[in-house]
Amino acid sequence: MAGDMNFTRENAECFLIEEAEMLDELRLEEWLKLFTSDGLYWIPIDETMSTNETVSIVRDDALRREERVFHLLKTRFPAQSPRSRTLHSISSVRVRPKVDGQVVVVSNQTIHEVRTGDYRQSGLGEMHTIVARMEHLLVLSSDGPKIVEKKVLLLDRDMPLGNLTFLI
Amino acid sequence: MTETRTASSPQVAPMAGSSGLVLEEAHKFRVHTRAYNDRAVFDAEMRNIFDRVWIFVGHTSEIPNPGDYKTSYIGMQPVIVVRADNGDVNVLVNRCVHRGAVVCRELRGNAQQFECPYHGWVYQNDGKLVAIPHAKEAGGYSEHFDKPAGLYKVPKVDMFRGLIFACMDPNVVPLDEFLGRAKLLLERRFNLSPSGEIVFRSRPFVSRYKGNWKFQAENIVDDYHFVFTHTAFIDLQAKYGDATGNFGLHPGGSASEMRKSRYRGNVWGVDQGHGILDAPALSPESFLNGRFGDYYKAIQDKVGAEEFKWVVGRGIGCIFPNLGIIHQQIRTWRPIAPDLTEVTIYPFELKGAPGEFNQGMLHAQERFYAPSGHGAPDDVEMFASNQHGLEGHAVDWLLLERGVDTDEKQPNGDYRGQPSSEACQRSYWRQWNRLMTKSAGA
Ligand code: FES
Ligand SMILES: [Fe+2]
Repeated sequence: MAGDMNFTRENAECFLIEEAEMLDELRLEEWLKLFTSDGLYWIPIDETMSTNETVSIVRDDALRREERVFHLLKTRFPAQSPRSRTLHSISSVRVRPKVDGQVVVVSNQTIHEVRTGDYRQSGLGEMHTIVARMEHLLVLSSDGPKIVEKKVLLLDRDMPLGNLTFLI
Repeated sequence: MTETRTASSPQVAPMAGSSGLVLEEAHKFRVHTRAYNDRAVFDAEMRNIFDRVWIFVGHTSEIPNPGDYKTSYIGMQPVIVVRADNGDVNVLVNRCVHRGAVVCRELRGNAQQFECPYHGWVYQNDGKLVAIPHAKEAGGYSEHFDKPAGLYKVPKVDMFRGLIFACMDPNVVPLDEFLGRAKLLLERRFNLSPSGEIVFRSRPFVSRYKGNWKFQAENIVDDYHFVFTHTAFIDLQAKYGDATGNFGLHPGGSASEMRKSRYRGNVWGVDQGHGILDAPALSPESFLNGRFGDYYKAIQDKVGAEEFKWVVGRGIGCIFPNLGIIHQQIRTWRPIAPDLTEVTIYPFELKGAPGEFNQGMLHAQERFYAPSGHGAPDDVEMFASNQHGLEGHAVDWLLLERGVDTDEKQPNGDYRGQPSSEACQRSYWRQWNRLMTKSAGA
């Protein structure tokens, strides 16, 4: 309980900025370590439905996150050849304390994404904007906050989506 | 019907009985670039294909109760698929007969009536026009007014095992006849449910790509591309196997095993334009002795040991012109422009199957088919890339003649191809060509 009282908005902003930098700089092995071992990275299509009843855009436990990072860093596939560049912008950060040393950090994030390569080609060199409300459920431990759940509510989550084969 | 401008192309001399865009002769099968990127061809397709054949518009489980509706499309034509109070399913053109506004703006819902937001005309949920506001005001409608009956009702609606099809042509062949060999495929997929029924419950995956809609039609039954386009996915399978939730969807842990599991069984090019890849399971015992053995055993008792091999075997289909079935999903691809297509993937549940089975299937498909998944984004990336490649005009024709010399034509007009051949794609284009050609003289 004491821990979450001390977790200020500035602490939350620092955490989100560091996470975003890892994603934008493709330091994804480091990003994996931000999660608890039973943590979840979740991008729902319909957050009001049980994940037993509907598919999500992403619903990654630890192994699926590891697989996703392996896929991005160690294999070649058309949707990321050439690769995307991303830039996260974070705003409206608020901290909502919960019990048991947990806090929810809510933020509004805008991610700009562009594929590199021959920018004259279809799909490359076009700036895409991804807009999301994020909710990071964090557990505050002695070695810093860890993500129990990262929930990304895309503004257009139940609408036609383009290539999202990078981390958001 | 409308005249088509395909025949008057300056670059392609039309052959007798052909749109001029599909070339079939000994050892050859080619499709012209313009079939994919010409606006005039696209406009002709909307009338000559989408107005003439059965088009999938929804599933009965999406509209179980009176008044339930979903909006859908027949080509560029917006429609409302709605269950009337008497239980009938009607497909209504989503366009006010007054001055054209769209009367329903929601994806799905329940309504007793649809009220046009422009001047307030009201239609019952079976389409009947029931109110015209201020009709008798000065300047209103006189007794000579030829009052429309209501929203335009698509003349033909029929169902196959819960799949709702509609057709704009009242003289279309019966749905059964249109489906042909694809009926057996659908039956086998759905017979994996103890009651033979599927349910659309999950939200669909929806994506768009900047490419022609027929690239998706060709691709869903294309075994040739898998080990190349999805080579990274094969790496994932080799490393993670079923641990990340593959759920048996993509058998094989190496490129050679994956190729083997794909390059076997039947490849059917169906005369009506459909393509089918199917094969019986190599070891039905693995299902009967596995985690869901009791469930599989009950299915086997019901359908018999021989048929069971097919029910749990491979079965993938492209149903002309824009419906697909693969794994535990129904897929549609909606043309928006010659170079813009929307793909909707509906992962379905098997009614009566164990909850964990259906959930396993949902999460396995999520891994491959989501817009962030490890498979489908690579396919649509290729379709956009195809379209870009077609923008120049140095090369005219696309080659779809892989395996053409080993195709065996059946008495009913279907072709049986060898695994990895492009027999499915050829039958699709033959049907496309027939429809696009007939219209030229009609
Ligand atoms: S356009 Fe619908 S009432 Fe006028
Ligand atoms: Fe594919």
